[in-house]
Amino acid sequence: MRRAQAAIVALTAGALALTACSSGAKQGAADDQSRKDAEKMRGQIAFADAAASKGPAAPIPGATPGGTIKVYQRDTYAHLDPAQLYVSDQGSLSTLLFRRLTAFNLDNKGKYNVVGDLATDSGQKSDGGKTWTYKLKDGVKFEDGKPITSTDLRHTFERQFADFITSGPTYVQRWLADSNSTAGYRKLLPGGPYGGKHLPKSVLDTPDDKTIVFHFKKPVGDLPYALALAGYGVVEKAKDTKEKYDKAPVASGPYKIQPGSFKNGKGITLVKNTQWDPNTDISRHQYADKFDIQFSVSYIDSTQRLMADNTDNQTAISFNNQVDAASLQRVANDPKIKARSTSGYQPYVGVMNFNMRRLKDKRIREAIAYAMPIQSVLDAYGTPGGGELAGSYISPTLTGYKNIDPYGKLKNPLGDVAKAKAILKKAGKLGMKLTYAHNTAVEPLKYSVAVADNLKKAGFDVQNKELPSDTYYDIIGKTDNQFDVYPSAWGADWPSALTVLPPVYDGRQIQDGGTNYALYNSPETNKEIDRISQETDPKKAAADWFTLGEKILKDDLPQIPTFYYKQVQLHGSKIGGAVNNNILSAIDPTKLYVKK
Amino acid sequence: MLRFLVRRSLGAIVILLLISAFTFFLFFAAPRDPALLACGRNCGPDALAIIHKNMGLDQPVPVQYWHFMAGIFTGRDFAQGPCPAPCFGYSFATGDAVWNTIVDRFPITLSLTIGAAAVFLFVGLATGMLAAWKQGTLLDKLFSSASLVLSSMQIYFIGPIVLTLLVYNTNLLGQPKYVPITEDPVGWFMGLLIPWCVLSIIFTAQYTRMARSAMIEQLQEEHVRTARAKGMSAATVFFRYAWRGSLIPIVTIFGIDLGTLFGGAMITEVTFALPGLGTLSIESVLRTDLPTVMGVMLFAATFIILFNIIVDAAYALIDPRVRLA
Repeated sequence: MRRAQAAIVALTAGALALTACSSGAKQGAADDQSRKDAEKMRGQIAFADAAASKGPAAPIPGATPGGTIKVYQRDTYAHLDPAQLYVSDQGSLSTLLFRRLTAFNLDNKGKYNVVGDLATDSGQKSDGGKTWTYKLKDGVKFEDGKPITSTDLRHTFERQFADFITSGPTYVQRWLADSNSTAGYRKLLPGGPYGGKHLPKSVLDTPDDKTIVFHFKKPVGDLPYALALAGYGVVEKAKDTKEKYDKAPVASGPYKIQPGSFKNGKGITLVKNTQWDPNTDISRHQYADKFDIQFSVSYIDSTQRLMADNTDNQTAISFNNQVDAASLQRVANDPKIKARSTSGYQPYVGVMNFNMRRLKDKRIREAIAYAMPIQSVLDAYGTPGGGELAGSYISPTLTGYKNIDPYGKLKNPLGDVAKAKAILKKAGKLGMKLTYAHNTAVEPLKYSVAVADNLKKAGFDVQNKELPSDTYYDIIGKTDNQFDVYPSAWGADWPSALTVLPPVYDGRQIQDGGTNYALYNSPETNKEIDRISQETDPKKAAADWFTLGEKILKDDLPQIPTFYYKQVQLHGSKIGGAVNNNILSAIDPTKLYVKK
Repeated sequence: MLRFLVRRSLGAIVILLLISAFTFFLFFAAPRDPALLACGRNCGPDALAIIHKNMGLDQPVPVQYWHFMAGIFTGRDFAQGPCPAPCFGYSFATGDAVWNTIVDRFPITLSLTIGAAAVFLFVGLATGMLAAWKQGTLLDKLFSSASLVLSSMQIYFIGPIVLTLLVYNTNLLGQPKYVPITEDPVGWFMGLLIPWCVLSIIFTAQYTRMARSAMIEQLQEEHVRTARAKGMSAATVFFRYAWRGSLIPIVTIFGIDLGTLFGGAMITEVTFALPGLGTLSIESVLRTDLPTVMGVMLFAATFIILFNIIVDAAYALIDPRVRLA
């Protein structure tokens, strides 16, 4: 995942452990609230049945309809075609606009589950998880009043194979094609459904207007999670204009785009979709009349405006802008502002990679791990609220998470230089050359001084390499990169480590531009990844993934975790229903209303 | 005059061609692949190849350059739809027609620069003249030292301070924003007032100093002395004789400053979240969005060159001694 460029849809949920070793900085009230919220949802996220998927959603206490909510966003939405949506700001928007077969539902008690959205339930699996069947709810419609049928759903999935769809998720396509390649799955339906061709019934079947059946070659346990991704929002077949659909998509959620309102860099206006029936939707509300979204507002700017809470800003919010790092302290210390903040985890885990092709001796990697000042790394992202020290590769928001600390980093977050030096001495490598690379973004520049200093004190001859931020991941993603230690971050697409361990630790995925940045290749790990990927019992899969993650960390140490990313957001004083949604890793837009 | 305009226009075309070629080929010299941004997660070489094809990046760079430049005059067809001349293609990042985006954003930058220029020319010249008029007095010293302080300020420094003081803490003024002048002239004026003042601060200071020294120089000229000797009133001498002469160097500098003003507008737009061409150019560079980078660059360059020609032509109107041959 490229944090700087495309923060993948923030899909997190699950447990949060109250680590005794948090940053040592004061935790704000909003932070405490996020911990409490997470406590409530600790454990397995349920795949809901038909009863738990039936609308309408329980009303938000005190919510009243009407009013316009002003929304400040840093980035223009790069895409509006559901199939092209992946990154987190698009995820928030798509929740309001597009319905999918399943959806993550956050109820009023703070509990998460996967519900049937267009479908009556989260899916019926058979044939050992190779076949999944979905039935559509009655009364679900597009904004033009046309009923949503299985033909539209078939088209939604078949058009994912067309060459112009390049930015969205590829999980379902790859499972259908049984392909691991990043583009090989397209051979299953070259060019998509536009030449009149369709996926064979043995792959995707729609026996009637209401039924969709997925047939996979191998068991798939995570399908209900994957189908809830923004990228699988329904597309109306009769209105599909291919590339042009990106500018004029047909909505199916509680809001639709006001025609002509989208202006690159300026904004977009969402108005109520009168064809949306709340009785069919358990996970969304439609309180505000309008969302007036303004682009090009920086984090600093939106923070200033929302802290001021003057005039228009009282009914303003940002779906995805966070409080800028320099303002976190003020938000934490001013009770009035703190009361208007929400906070929660992002799905990212920051790590320091060890280049496994260059640092082959595990003792060297251990020495670096012990010396690493993870507290300095975290502090660079702002305190309190910028994150929490990490002991595991797997985020606390993923099911199966356990608090581990095999290298004592949480107890000694500033680094144990003496221990590192002793290990290095024993290995006979005192004074060895070590190339530490990082990018020139503000945060890495801040913490890298401390990192290099600790490594020097531990006995390394440190060469500091500064790489340009915009090409950083391209450079460290080269399999022949000449660096020994370099930071990166990765986040889950949904609350299962299936979207973390295979992309980051599968040695068969090593390629230029790949995401196995440590170039870690262990046949044993690869084999275990294959085994757990086919596990259809979510509970067992979660436990097995965590065990594997722990084993990689303890036995092979290709990376040392640094911190779990968190964010703090603000809203105006006349905004009600503002709660953090750990699945979106942002404020939940479907619950917002304007206070009267 | 006509010969002058023809000669300068031909020169402008050559400059624009050089700028376009330089920008285009420099873009490809950078180690950044625009396809990566559109590639989503788990992006492999095979996935990248498809995007390269979609974006037309699979062709040799000179061929791409030729298609791009030809498209400006003849228009092109894209998967997103036809792109009539002047066609700068469709944005790699958002899929919008670049020309439409430029046309949409230009009024913001134009409003910002014209307003700021009006402020700094008016305030700068007025204070400069006053300082020259009252040379050596307390007023002169006050203006001169204030201009020295202000000219060392930066937009990104003053902008947030002004916002905090006038908008967030006291509510004296509303959040800076752009409203088209055709829709709401008062809203347009009030929305841009803070950005105008902030953008003009650094220029105002320079123009105060420049106007002061040009004026002092003019007041010592022989024709001014002659006018005085002829018994003309001080005001007539000041405004009719000295003022006009002092404008020559100021107009010259103003022509050169247009480029700087555009650069300043860029920072101002980002500071106040105004989505003009400056914000667009920064966004497009960050997103390696070649068609938009090219579009904005050529548009801005054309605009600056055009204004320089107009300013040169304006000499003749200000000073009859200048002949455009």
